[in-house]
Amino acid sequence: MLLELKNIKKQFKNNHVLKGIDLSVEKGEVIAIIGPSGSGKTTLLRNINFLETADSGSMLFREQQIDLAKPTKKQILWARRHMAMVFQNYNLFKNKTALKNISEGLVFGQNKSKTEADELACQALDQVGLLGKKDFYPSQLSGGQQQRIGIARATVLNPDIVLFDEPTSALDPELVGTVLHDMKTLADKGQTMIVVTHQMSFARNVASRVAFFSDGEILEEGRSDEIFDHPQHERTQQFLSAIAEDY
Amino acid sequence: MFDSNFALGSFPKILAVAPTTIYLAIVATVIGFLIAVLIVIVRERQIKILNPIVATLVSFIRGTPIIVQMYVVYYGLPQLLVALKGMGFNTDPNGLPAMVIAISAYSLNASANISESIRSAYHSVDHRQYEAAVTVGMKPSRAMTRIVIPQLIANFIPNFSNLFLDLIKDTAIVYNIGIVEIMAEANIISSIGFKYIETYLDALVIYIVICWIFAKLFQIGEIIARNHVFHTQKTI
Ligand SMILES: Nc1ncnc2c1ncn2[C@@H]1O[C@H](COP(=O)(O)OP(=O)(O)OP(=O)(O)O)[C@@H](O)[C@H]1O
Ligand SMILES: [Mg+2]
Repeated sequence: MLLELKNIKKQFKNNHVLKGIDLSVEKGEVIAIIGPSGSGKTTLLRNINFLETADSGSMLFREQQIDLAKPTKKQILWARRHMAMVFQNYNLFKNKTALKNISEGLVFGQNKSKTEADELACQALDQVGLLGKKDFYPSQLSGGQQQRIGIARATVLNPDIVLFDEPTSALDPELVGTVLHDMKTLADKGQTMIVVTHQMSFARNVASRVAFFSDGEILEEGRSDEIFDHPQHERTQQFLSAIAEDY
Repeated sequence: MFDSNFALGSFPKILAVAPTTIYLAIVATVIGFLIAVLIVIVRERQIKILNPIVATLVSFIRGTPIIVQMYVVYYGLPQLLVALKGMGFNTDPNGLPAMVIAISAYSLNASANISESIRSAYHSVDHRQYEAAVTVGMKPSRAMTRIVIPQLIANFIPNFSNLFLDLIKDTAIVYNIGIVEIMAEANIISSIGFKYIETYLDALVIYIVICWIFAKLFQIGEIIARNHVFHTQKTI
């Protein structure tokens, strides 16, 4: 088991956003998290890489046990250096070029030399067909280009797991395809990932397992064909039929 | 009748003390900036006990006229030194130069305004970039120095420029505690020659030129910073 989350709880004031989440991820798995808006999907990802501190719960990651409510600085840094995240709004560094957006983590997170980092970053840009844009700043790139760089920035680190938070929801419809294509390529290469998504076709066709989130809980979880073809819970059925036109 | 000869004759005399105005404004801004950085750290990290105290002081300073603050320091600082001496410190309240008092008052005033300006520049940097930086494995301090602070500086310069120009203009009251700067010299010359409009016009011109020069300098600084940080072309 690469990652095992146990009983994660998180509340904001009186709002119980995560009510005890358990989730296990094997190496090479692609897990899609689906569910209604406000059900806590983003919050779960943010708890996994410590952008938010859980009220309770634990994480077993690469055989290291971490108390999510009381992580040490060292544990946080260590865990973050073995995972990566792709954000809904890309969150590229506005003061860095495309190339530097990608190489920054290699230099300052992994102590690689500048030349080696730039070389790896160039390769990563080339793979997504954006080498020509290496000296462009985020403000000079389209949303789709920015998100592909966001993905390259995450994957160049060779992380054990990549967390995606709705990577295509801020994109124009015609750009969604290219980003999903990059993600599928990654999945085919065996990259472990957790993907929060509203793209049901991706969840169905690329993910090995799907977790349905509702109101701070994983209501249902299983192989993607099982969830899509035979949802057990009424809430899951409602959710899937409500967005049926999507896939 | 406007006496242009008098105006021309007194111009160099007033200009000669302009460095005092500039000196006070620059020193107060530099010290004020250093204090402001500490204030920002206390406030943004919400350091216990200190934070509410500092917040209150800042709003006091921003909410009162600088001339009142100057008098408070002018009469209060010597008393503070006396008190410190009574406690065994080697402080001498006698003969405290007016410039020291002015610098103290203006530094405090500047620190309050600058700290607010830094905070607003900080808040205008999208925090999610910081989050992205730590998720790629940068230490929080590195994420600050490489991603947040460069953008903060680019956002901060225009505001800082305004604060500095305001401060130059605000120094026009320090003649009240006996410092001879532009305004004091204009007061002296005009009252000796009974030529008011001539001397105050001189002062006006000198202030305009000084402010214009600094405004230009800051503008150039802003353009360099923006080009360097965001690569957005913006011309003068
Ligand atoms: N920093 C925060 N402070 C207070 N409440 C928050 C915070 N972050 C999230 N919440 C609340 O937590 C709940 C879950 O939010 P979350 O962003 O995790 O939902 P989501 O499932 O990702 O939704 P969406 O599909 O719209 O992205 C919401 O009610 C939200 O208002
Ligand atoms: Mg979300």
